[in-house]
Amino acid sequence: MREFRVLEIKESIFEDNNKDAQELREQLKSENTFLLNLMSSPGAGKTTTLVKTIESLKERLSIAVMEADIDSDVDARTISETGVKVIQLHTGGMCHLDADMTRQGLKGLDAKGTDLVILENVGNLVCPAEFDTGATKNAMILSVPEGDDKPLKYPLMFKVSDVLLINKIDVMEYFDFDLDLCIERVKKLNPNIKIFPISAKTGEGIKEWTDWLYNEVKGE
Amino acid sequence: MHELGIMFHIVDQVLRVVEDNELSEVEAIVLQVGELSSVVPRYLHACFPAATSGTMLESTKLEVEVLTANGICQNCNKVFAVIEYDRVCPQCYSEDIEIISGSEFYLKEIRAC
Ligand SMILES: Nc1nc2c(ncn2[C@@H]2O[C@H](COP(=O)(O)OP(=O)(O)OP(=O)(O)O)[C@@H](O)[C@H]2O)c(=O)[nH]1
Ligand SMILES: [Mg+2]
Ligand SMILES: [Zn+2]
Repeated sequence: MREFRVLEIKESIFEDNNKDAQELREQLKSENTFLLNLMSSPGAGKTTTLVKTIESLKERLSIAVMEADIDSDVDARTISETGVKVIQLHTGGMCHLDADMTRQGLKGLDAKGTDLVILENVGNLVCPAEFDTGATKNAMILSVPEGDDKPLKYPLMFKVSDVLLINKIDVMEYFDFDLDLCIERVKKLNPNIKIFPISAKTGEGIKEWTDWLYNEVKGE
Repeated sequence: MHELGIMFHIVDQVLRVVEDNELSEVEAIVLQVGELSSVVPRYLHACFPAATSGTMLESTKLEVEVLTANGICQNCNKVFAVIEYDRVCPQCYSEDIEIISGSEFYLKEIRAC
């Protein structure tokens, strides 16, 4: 019979990744690159919003994009039509990106000197919220058809996000989506979060959002 | 289901402890999961064999301790188990509750030699 001893560890499961993410965040800061981590459910409008965001900012900022689809390069091709540098990350079936994968993506992108790198994370409201990518800021998109009760169901995602885009407001009248109630629920979870109602389709609200983002990138 | 990805992280974390402490065998891994954390203990168990396959942890046991989620009533300050009482204060029936614990997710300890 072998003698087993107990090794107390008491470490958060996310500890290693958290440390790694913090290092990456500091490194990016020293290189003057702003990394935006964009998260949402599948189909909430990440790619469409990204295209609009790039169109609005590409004259003023150098931009690059990392696409983290699990298994296709459709979004990467859509983004490349805007003319910015884009890389497809292979998550190997994983449901999220961690700081290490993000760092490898940045290397592959050769992102040094880029003002703004946007990471389109895997479409999912659970796992990406738990794995810090090292991003400067986290953005989340909630689209109107998903319902105003999402903050109640996925609180962590709303807590870790610095900015929330409520997308597809052009179809608001077809859904019983209560914008004020939704904002109230979100603010209860995260009082400091910035919220922009937008339509990536019609362009409504995009200027407010990209003005905010521009100021964040320029550190004003 | 995101437990498999998380399980791979846990296996890495344990293997690092194994290396640092020059261990030769791990009998058990003990995790602590809060009732409100987004991982489901049953799924953790389900993907453990896949995550340990091909490593020295193949015959290691996985133990998961569930930590109660507590909340404090904003009306009368009673602290109570929010899941058990369905988010309603058992003392004054207020639903204005602040969650104070339950989202933990820890690698608590390992038993090894
Ligand atoms: N009506 C309306 N449709 C939109 C809006 N934004 C996006 N869509 C549509 O929603 C669908 C999904 O948009 P995408 O931009 O591909 O969403 P996504 O989050 O990148 O999707 P995944 O990468 O698959 O997770 C497309 O058919 C878009 O045309 C909007 O503001 N209004
Ligand atoms: Mg997309
Ligand atoms: Zn009470």
